[in-house]
Amino acid sequence: MSCRHRYLYFILMVVSVSCKKLYNPPAISAPGSYLVVEGVINNGPDSTIFKLSHTVNLASKITLNPLTGAVLTIESDQNALYPLTETRKGNYGIGSLQLDNTRKYRLRIKTADDEYLSDFVPVINAPLVDTVNFNVESKGIQINVGTHDAVNNTKYYRWDYQETWVFHSYYQSGYVSNGDTVVERLFPANEVYNCWGNDTSSTIILGSSAKLSQNIITNNPLTFVSSTSEKLGTKYSIIVREYALTADAYKFWQILKTNTEQLGSIFDAQPSQINGNIHSTKNPSDAVIGYVSAGTVTSKRIFITDQQLPGWVPAQPYPNCSLDSIYLQYKPAGATVAVNQENVYFNYHHLANPQDALIPVAAIIVIPPIGPELIIGHTGAQPECVDCTLRGTNKQPVFWK
Amino acid sequence: MRKTYLITVCVLFFLQIALAQQKNPKLISCNFQQATIAQFAADLESKSSARFYYDPAQFDSLRVTLQITEQPLESILYAAFKNTNYHFAITSSQQVFITKGRQIKTDLAPGFTSIAPVNNAQSSAVADYSDDKDKNVPDATTENKLYEIGTRTNTIKAGNATLSGYVRDIKSGEAVVGASIYVANTKTGVATDQFGYFTITLPRGRHILIVRGLGMRDTRRQTILYNDGKLIIEMQEQVNSLKEVKISADKVANVRSVELGVTRLDIKNIKQIPTAFGETDVLKVILTLPGVTSVGEATTGFNVRGGSADENLILLNGATIYNPAHFFGFFAAFNPDIVKDIELYKSSIPEKFGGRLSSVLEVTNREGNKKIFTGSAGIGLLTSRLNVEGPIVKDKTSFIFGARTTYSNWLLNLLPDAYKHSSASFYDVNLDISHQINDKNNIYLSSYISNDKFKLNSDTTYSYSNKSVSLKWKHNYSTKLFSLISAGFDKYQYDINSKANPVNGYDLAFNINQSNFKADYTYYLNNKHTIDFGLNSILYHINPGTFEPLGAQSLVLPQVVAPEQALESALYLGDKYDVSTNFSISAGVRFNIYNYLGPQTVDNYAPNLPKEPDNVLDSTAYGQGHFIKTYISPDIRLSARYLLNDNLSVKAGYNTLHQYIHLLSNSTSISPTDVYKLSDPNIKPESGDQISLGLFQNAKQNTIEMSVEVYYKRLRNYLDYKSGAVLLLNQHIEQDVINTKGKAYGAEFLIKKTAGKLNGWISYTYSRTFLKQDDRNAGELINEGNWYPANYDKPSSFNFTGNYRFTHRYSISLDLSYSTGRPITLPIAKYEYAGSERVFYSDRNAYRIPDYFRSDFSINIEGNHRVHQKTHNSWTVGVYNLTGRQNAYSTFFTEQSGVISGYKLSIFASPIPFINYNIRF
Repeated sequence: MSCRHRYLYFILMVVSVSCKKLYNPPAISAPGSYLVVEGVINNGPDSTIFKLSHTVNLASKITLNPLTGAVLTIESDQNALYPLTETRKGNYGIGSLQLDNTRKYRLRIKTADDEYLSDFVPVINAPLVDTVNFNVESKGIQINVGTHDAVNNTKYYRWDYQETWVFHSYYQSGYVSNGDTVVERLFPANEVYNCWGNDTSSTIILGSSAKLSQNIITNNPLTFVSSTSEKLGTKYSIIVREYALTADAYKFWQILKTNTEQLGSIFDAQPSQINGNIHSTKNPSDAVIGYVSAGTVTSKRIFITDQQLPGWVPAQPYPNCSLDSIYLQYKPAGATVAVNQENVYFNYHHLANPQDALIPVAAIIVIPPIGPELIIGHTGAQPECVDCTLRGTNKQPVFWK
Repeated sequence: MRKTYLITVCVLFFLQIALAQQKNPKLISCNFQQATIAQFAADLESKSSARFYYDPAQFDSLRVTLQITEQPLESILYAAFKNTNYHFAITSSQQVFITKGRQIKTDLAPGFTSIAPVNNAQSSAVADYSDDKDKNVPDATTENKLYEIGTRTNTIKAGNATLSGYVRDIKSGEAVVGASIYVANTKTGVATDQFGYFTITLPRGRHILIVRGLGMRDTRRQTILYNDGKLIIEMQEQVNSLKEVKISADKVANVRSVELGVTRLDIKNIKQIPTAFGETDVLKVILTLPGVTSVGEATTGFNVRGGSADENLILLNGATIYNPAHFFGFFAAFNPDIVKDIELYKSSIPEKFGGRLSSVLEVTNREGNKKIFTGSAGIGLLTSRLNVEGPIVKDKTSFIFGARTTYSNWLLNLLPDAYKHSSASFYDVNLDISHQINDKNNIYLSSYISNDKFKLNSDTTYSYSNKSVSLKWKHNYSTKLFSLISAGFDKYQYDINSKANPVNGYDLAFNINQSNFKADYTYYLNNKHTIDFGLNSILYHINPGTFEPLGAQSLVLPQVVAPEQALESALYLGDKYDVSTNFSISAGVRFNIYNYLGPQTVDNYAPNLPKEPDNVLDSTAYGQGHFIKTYISPDIRLSARYLLNDNLSVKAGYNTLHQYIHLLSNSTSISPTDVYKLSDPNIKPESGDQISLGLFQNAKQNTIEMSVEVYYKRLRNYLDYKSGAVLLLNQHIEQDVINTKGKAYGAEFLIKKTAGKLNGWISYTYSRTFLKQDDRNAGELINEGNWYPANYDKPSSFNFTGNYRFTHRYSISLDLSYSTGRPITLPIAKYEYAGSERVFYSDRNAYRIPDYFRSDFSINIEGNHRVHQKTHNSWTVGVYNLTGRQNAYSTFFTEQSGVISGYKLSIFASPIPFINYNIRF
């Protein structure tokens, strides 16, 4: 809500409602930076990945400050050791793990100047995801998840998801510049019209059946996709991953969610301190952000095509796209020498600022009375209007059908 | 008014001529046979220099038969009228007034001039009010009349006598509460109690009582005290309500009362203070007093001297009100047309009150008019109200009825789509009946109900309600011993329900019920000692929460937190002892006994370990009525005053308090989802003590009052919460709360101007409040066991409340308030987690929101001032938050589309004009 005053007139009176406004607190510099540990000890075929980073100051331009060079080991209470290796900057992984459901596990992190240990956690396997469904509402679709645990391993659940969708750029291009000249585009390698976009959940989604008489979760909301979103233009897919939690882990996620997502209304609780289950061995009172849990992760994927939806028209992300005609030999009125405009607009080797180059879309053809067709130039547009790979990938994901 | 003036002139005239009398009584002879009054007067006028004045109509049946020789005029008249209903009076200039039934008094009322003519006390000029003899108690309505108290004796005995009685409004018959009766020559004073009664012990003899009451015209009574006796004083209402803002009932009370940190405000003062939407708010006004703050605008919870919102005992006619707010705290739940005055005790809490740590706020309703039917109505932007009152039996029984309701839904419907599905409604109703059985016994019945229901753009409906009913019996055993016995029942409940997701449809309910019994006695031992003693008892029954499925499809498992019962009792004894005219002490002790009662199942925890699920040893089930845990704790209440001179005094006080009922609230304000918890074996009572010192001065004939007060307070077992505490439906709440220590200190400065065209007050307070949790055995440490500021710690606070009267009909009011922003826990670092940028919070309450400033302005326009007209009307027009400052209610950081942004929430973000129309009939 902006702070524009909303006035209501009634005889002599004007009332305006409360307002929420952007607020930048005086520069606050944290006394130090804190270790952040994100990941799950994955019992099953999927690999286990832990992401390590340090917090940054609020004013900092970057938010991700990966911690490299740490040594991570998963340990069981029977002293079984599973070392992790750094796969990317700050990402530490190990392939499929077969854990013993009756044992407890923990994570050991050695950094340059400290050593951290998580508490021992039990292996809690998530039950299967029963349903991922969607309701068509007036302004979009609401996607929900449902599950149940017949064996009552847990009553606490967390979900995250990854969305994938097909989308198109505004113009379909049959040509490409190789830097010096415009040539025909090769398909499917240089496909830029049809792409797959993807996104991951950015909110913490939790559910609990602790207060229900049966261990059943139905229609727990996951996300809402707007009817005007490009995601629903052709075909959309979502995979939902389910994590089973202990009561303690649930509490951690709940606090994290409350602290960063749910503040702001008049009756909301105040932020509280986050207590994960990872501690420094040197300074046990130092804050470490993160909670290590263990168990299998289950998942379910669904597809939604535009046929299943009302005839919604996605809003164009770049509504100001337009085509320009670019000629190989262009002679402005009164000029004596023709100019190759393609060297000015398409052929980036000839441009002072190659990033400003347009992308050719279609050939401008002249059909003379005799002889073959003649290409006298190409139409072109801004890259974002033509090249879908700027926002997605043109390689079909393996799961796509 | 005009009449009084005329009498005064006449009396003045007599005074001058009286001086010449008695020097040379002329002797006259006469012989009357069945003479008419005309003949009688003409004959005597011819034989002396006297002139006769009489009303012939009164004497048409008089025939005088009398033979006398050589007697003074006075003897002749005496002989003529003895044993008749006729009276005479002779002035010094030989004017003779003959009257029927009553005698004219020819000398000036004693005390009218600065010379107190004590010797006149037994002269024949003492008013003869033999007509009143059939009444026990004289109705003292006239300033210039001398009232005899007790059986008349020829000589006044030495020693003291007790005068008691009550002060009432001559028009409505309603008691005048808190009126001061000040005796000039002994420099002693007393104030009437909540029923208008007073008792004062004075030396026998002649006294002038100076009587002042809120909203009443100052008056005086001349008395001659022979023995113990009674006096009813009738006062006239101050018809011109715009005349002045009076802050205290007693202009000298600031300096002379023994108490510190006690403020009484009359509804007339409260009505002059501009508020949002123009609705008079009895709670908002106390926020302008020094030492009182609130966490934000949309909350009616207030903090007194570093105490939390639940540490205030809010009483409406003696009934405990748990949620004193309507509509998220925008309005106080008290009807301003019914309320008579409010009194806030923040330091010297009388021993008859207990059970809360910070303050007692007493809201007192008016009594209904005992003489005529009258009423008023008000129309505001969001609320309307109506009040009707009148006699049921004239002069004996009266009722007062008040009701308010809102029609704010139209406003919510006009709001943008985001608020379309919101709705809000509330009402409150008061009905009070008072009955005078005789002059020793009075009965009062009060009842109150308030109800709120709202839905804030969601499918969840919130509702809450206060209900109370009480019966009081006031009895005077003698002129020295009074009792007030009351019994009542109070209930507060709320209910939250949602059917958004049929599978999760639920209904959550909470309620608190309390039955009260109180017996309060006041005994006026002598003029040095006033003793209060009594007994209070409250039986609590709390249903901490029931969570039930709503709708057929709901899978919600019914969950009930076991009801709690407790009995809180107290015996108290206090003495106000006037050691000398300059030095007074008030000392009291309150002996609290608290029993936590069965049936209940209580978890037993391993000693010296945090109260966590792992440390539960076992649990014990107790049966109905079993005394599970008893806490016994004495409270001490002490205050003393020393008068340095007539206008300057120094006061000191010390008190200890205990609290057995705790509000569990994880949000900054009192919200309708908060839970009350009784002390049990695992949650100890909160306790606190406070020491305070004050300097009080009056200037300019008591029209300017100044005070400086300092205090230091300690709190023990104050409840704070573990991180992520769950407060609703928690079967083991002791596992989510921690006991903290607290300390608060501050200095309060106040200057009031109580009279004149410009009046009002300025206050400045410096105060701090800190909490600390450093016991590792109790659970997690907060801020590593260091002191941290409480949520409502606002070091500096400044208030100006002023009213300027241009004419009797027009006045303007201006309100300014400034305070330091309250503490907040701010994010200090950011990181990426679970697909989004997130923030890491600082130590608890390490930072502050921006400072608060607000200015309000209003113009009050009264209709014409003719007293006798069918309706009186008035308008109030004004602007709330004149400068439109966007004061932060809170600041918070939240994630939207994966980016963290800081937001500031303002409740009243722009100037809010308002208009109110009131009508009195």
